[in-house]
Amino acid sequence: MRIWSFGRLVIWSFAAALALSVSLSAHHSFAAFDMTKEQTITGIVSRFDWTNPHTFIWVDVTNDKGVTESWAIEGMSPNYLGRRGWSKNSVKPGEKITVSIRPLKEGKTGGMFIRAQIGDRVLMPTGTPTDER
Amino acid sequence: MPSSRKIRSTAVAVLIAAGAAGVPAIAQQAKPTPPTAAEWAALAKLPDFTGVWEVGFGPPGGRGGAGSGRGARAGGPPAGPQLTPAYAARRQARMANPPEDSQAANCLPPGMPGIMGQPYPMEFLLTPGLVTIVIEAYTQVRHIYTDGRPLPDDPDPKFHGTSVGRWEADTLVVETVGFSPQTDIAANTPHSDKMKIVERFRLSDPDTMTIETTVTDADALAAPWVSNRTLRRHRAWTIAEYICEENNRNSVDANGKAGINIKK
Repeated sequence: MRIWSFGRLVIWSFAAALALSVSLSAHHSFAAFDMTKEQTITGIVSRFDWTNPHTFIWVDVTNDKGVTESWAIEGMSPNYLGRRGWSKNSVKPGEKITVSIRPLKEGKTGGMFIRAQIGDRVLMPTGTPTDER
Repeated sequence: MPSSRKIRSTAVAVLIAAGAAGVPAIAQQAKPTPPTAAEWAALAKLPDFTGVWEVGFGPPGGRGGAGSGRGARAGGPPAGPQLTPAYAARRQARMANPPEDSQAANCLPPGMPGIMGQPYPMEFLLTPGLVTIVIEAYTQVRHIYTDGRPLPDDPDPKFHGTSVGRWEADTLVVETVGFSPQTDIAANTPHSDKMKIVERFRLSDPDTMTIETTVTDADALAAPWVSNRTLRRHRAWTIAEYICEENNRNSVDANGKAGINIKK
């Protein structure tokens, strides 16, 4: 887990977008997502699936009608993220999270992970590979 | 009810017939022998391919025509295969109503050559007469026989084909034939049963491996398709478990429509 300066954030966002556009395509295409849109949601984590072929962050989001909806945020695999500073404890149920996503089409409550913030921690979809494992 | 004696004589006759039929087939195969100490020692003189490697995703540096190689998206010139008119027409027909996703979304491994370009590491194991590549993506494995056996004349179609290899100085040259029709040369680009893949693996520096891959297919390709990959060694990495069915929420249906299951 890292805390990023804005400049590094911009650079890594770009690198991450590039890496993701190749990486995610290995398992599936972007057909389900609206890649032209970026949406930011804030809510409370209800579950974190540290699973293959993709991680999922489940977030309870209260919409503008006051109704709480469950959002499913798909991220890279634990294998990929685990070599880049993430762990199964990077996201915990009960934490308040703000996530930027490529939303699912057809108004479904979900999307593809771009980046997230939990407190002062910024989570990126990629980073410098570590030689820790 | 036949007597036990009759059963025995029938069984013997069957065994003799089976033996007679089986002898030529068995004679064609190399006699399996346990590896010798000298063969184990000889491995130490080969280039050190051991350990865990990950493909880099720079420009692919391919040549051989325009098209849709996986690397083409990452920048640089298009590097896809150059198709014969017949296969260009087949590709065109597929692209007229292109599927939104490949069967990989349903966890079907891509097979060769796509499996060698996944964003996950692979581990090389050298034992006498065999190079084994353990591929993390989809938990796959390739066996490359370096014991001098020939390629099979009439191989069963396989996702990874059937591979034999030989060392040319410091380069491992691998020839592979016999691919499942469920694999593609590149996205939406089918191959014929004549497809052959030659890979040249070598170390370009102590922790960098280059793989030059040449695909030929007399029916499908107008010219050999040559592409290059660079892999980086990560000495401290280990291959992780990758069970695609663990929590796969992506899918593609028979009509090519992509789906995602977000039922919690």
